[in-house]
Amino acid sequence: MSSIPLNWYLIVAALLFCIGLFGALSRRSAIGILMGIELMLNAVNINLVAFWRYVEVDGLAGQMFAIVVITVAAAEAAVALALVRALYRSRDTVTVEEIDLLKW
Amino acid sequence: MSGAELFFYVLAVLAITSALAMIFTPRPVYAVLFMVVNFVAVALLYLQLEAPFLAAVQVLVYAGAIMVLFLFVVMLMGPAPAPLWEHIPAQRPLALLFAVGLLGALATAIRKGAFTPLTGTMSSAIATAGGQSQALAEHLYNRYLLPFELTSLILLVGIVGAVVLARLPRQKNPTTD
Amino acid sequence: MQINWADTSFLLAPEILLTVGALIVLVLDLLIEDDTSPVLPGFTLLALVSAFGAAAAHLVTGVDDVALFMFAADPLTHFFRLLGIGTALLVLLVSVNYVQARSKHTGEFYSLLLWVTLAVVLVAGAHDLILLYLAFEFLSITSYVLVGWLRDDARSNEGAMKYLLFGAISSALMLYGMSLLYGATGTTRLTEIAAFFTIPETQITGLYSIVVPALVFLLAGIGFKISLVPFHQWAPDAYEGAPTPVAAFLSVGSKSAGFAVLARVLLEAMPAFQEHWTSLLVVLSILTMTLGNLVALRQTNMKRLLAYSSIAQAGYILMGLAAYSAGATFPADGLSGVLIYLVAYLFTNVGVFIGAVIFEQATGSVAISDYAGLIRRSPWLAFTFVVFFLSLAGLPPTAGFVGKLAVFYATVAKGLYFLAIIGVLNSVVSVYYYFNVIRQMFFMPAPEGAERVRMPASMGLALAISFVGTLLIGFYPEPFLNLANMSRDFISALPLL
Repeated sequence: MSSIPLNWYLIVAALLFCIGLFGALSRRSAIGILMGIELMLNAVNINLVAFWRYVEVDGLAGQMFAIVVITVAAAEAAVALALVRALYRSRDTVTVEEIDLLKW
Repeated sequence: MSGAELFFYVLAVLAITSALAMIFTPRPVYAVLFMVVNFVAVALLYLQLEAPFLAAVQVLVYAGAIMVLFLFVVMLMGPAPAPLWEHIPAQRPLALLFAVGLLGALATAIRKGAFTPLTGTMSSAIATAGGQSQALAEHLYNRYLLPFELTSLILLVGIVGAVVLARLPRQKNPTTD
Repeated sequence: MQINWADTSFLLAPEILLTVGALIVLVLDLLIEDDTSPVLPGFTLLALVSAFGAAAAHLVTGVDDVALFMFAADPLTHFFRLLGIGTALLVLLVSVNYVQARSKHTGEFYSLLLWVTLAVVLVAGAHDLILLYLAFEFLSITSYVLVGWLRDDARSNEGAMKYLLFGAISSALMLYGMSLLYGATGTTRLTEIAAFFTIPETQITGLYSIVVPALVFLLAGIGFKISLVPFHQWAPDAYEGAPTPVAAFLSVGSKSAGFAVLARVLLEAMPAFQEHWTSLLVVLSILTMTLGNLVALRQTNMKRLLAYSSIAQAGYILMGLAAYSAGATFPADGLSGVLIYLVAYLFTNVGVFIGAVIFEQATGSVAISDYAGLIRRSPWLAFTFVVFFLSLAGLPPTAGFVGKLAVFYATVAKGLYFLAIIGVLNSVVSVYYYFNVIRQMFFMPAPEGAERVRMPASMGLALAISFVGTLLIGFYPEPFLNLANMSRDFISALPLL
């Protein structure tokens, strides 16, 4: 049995989650925001595995959940980055000041 | 301080500093590399949590595949790409406020949280299956079959979506005869 | 734990049909050179109709079981299956011409439509947090691609990007909440989570301090899907940028899936915390209705108007869940109000989007001012718009009236008078902007040289179906009320595996 209390892992995960959230909310470039999101998903995985190790009595739900999250993150990243390419390609010919298509 | 605690501290500090470095570095390639460091640190944490398969998957998929994808796109994008929206005056401070507030709330919740303690060293499922990879495999194809199939579908949709969205535009000609 | 394949195939028949259909459409797309061939949409139609038939058969024969340990094929699932597949059918009818005129990737569109329908159905039946998250993300990712499908249109790209970034952040929040819930209970199965909270020893402050934040996080993610305020920011841009049929699907199908998730998570997994989430839902409902309606007043673009209108509608539907009382008689239990409203909303909202698609296809415009004089250019289209807007505003004798009545009844029965009053006030406000559009159509002179609005056959059929449905529910609601009544008794004692 590990000597490290569960809370330590949870705090680290919470820290990483909030750092990722800050990264996602404070940036204006799509890739920066995406990296923040990946950090957040990663932090949740730490939560899941830590909970599995310390709380789950029988079964592997925590690890399964973590594997699923990694897969979803991969698919999401692929679609997101493809969208980034499409977005910046269609903007290549237009300057930034003219990009105001979607207003309030 | 025991060896396990030292290991944990080193990894935790590594993960957190690389995350912060990733957020604040002005260069996208460095940011991606810092993320890789972060993911490897987390993978080692999984090792300490006695989840070796997950540690391997973390390195292979997250650090290996996803970050390589990011690196490709960062390189293709060239120097700082155009921002997505107009400059919102208080965006950074507001984000900081929100993130710090959330952290405080979560820290309080975790401190006060009561979690059912684990009895025994290894869950019986792993013991009966004779090892962790075996247990995971059994669960994956038996109890968690539906999520497993669904992940393959989600990856397929990811591929289709990426192709639809990122393909080079074809010449605008009518269907070939 | 052996899997019974015969049982599984039977229980998952609609899902299997949708999956196989989507895969075949992808393959056919490879083989067929002609982008305008009717084989692809025809086959998609076949897949949807057969899935609908299977789901209807399940409903009628009263199937109630768990498939593959995680998917609950119970009455609630049947309801949402029919709702989701029905939405897809109408959207398919209206997308054929729209899609062919705009891009060469028609095959991918049809298969994505099937995938997104599959996602809606899976979300509705998910009985385990893992499947729930996975199906939810499946729905999200497919929707991102569909919104950004007009990839050479900058507006579409931007709408999809905003949708994706916002959605990814919200679902990361939701996932964190799920991890806390898992950590608090040690299990990911919804029924086991509920059982955990009923044990007296677990009702200690320590647990509450974890579960209430988890609840808030969960509401953040699900609220994004349903476009509740303040998680609605993506909706106007996404709806405006998306191909209009996709916006139609998002506003009804995606939203229904979100409500299904909300119902399952709150009612099945966390009934013990009802006081907490009821107050949260009341607040969210008030914010959503009010902001949606107020901003809709300012809109000059039809798609953005419909986006804000959809946001406000989510607020009304949420009232039903806020007013939930387990075991109350029909329809005071709140959940049946939600279900009735969703059916009414299906016909009405998809209908009004279909009208917008027809108009856009014929004239290329989405500005409300261009709808001027529609009564002279295409009287039938204008008349259907009138009926749809009446229904959206909740006026008799339309489906929207029945839906609003059911929801308000439950709200008052629960004693949430303040919420009900706000709801009524909001409905009054919404009449203003709906009728503003009608005023454009009827009383403004048509612009110079405006011809009749042509309507392709499939679109006309979809419009007719929505129109008939909207009025039918209004005049003869009994069958739909029965459907909602049957579907609400879904919290069954499932075997714990």
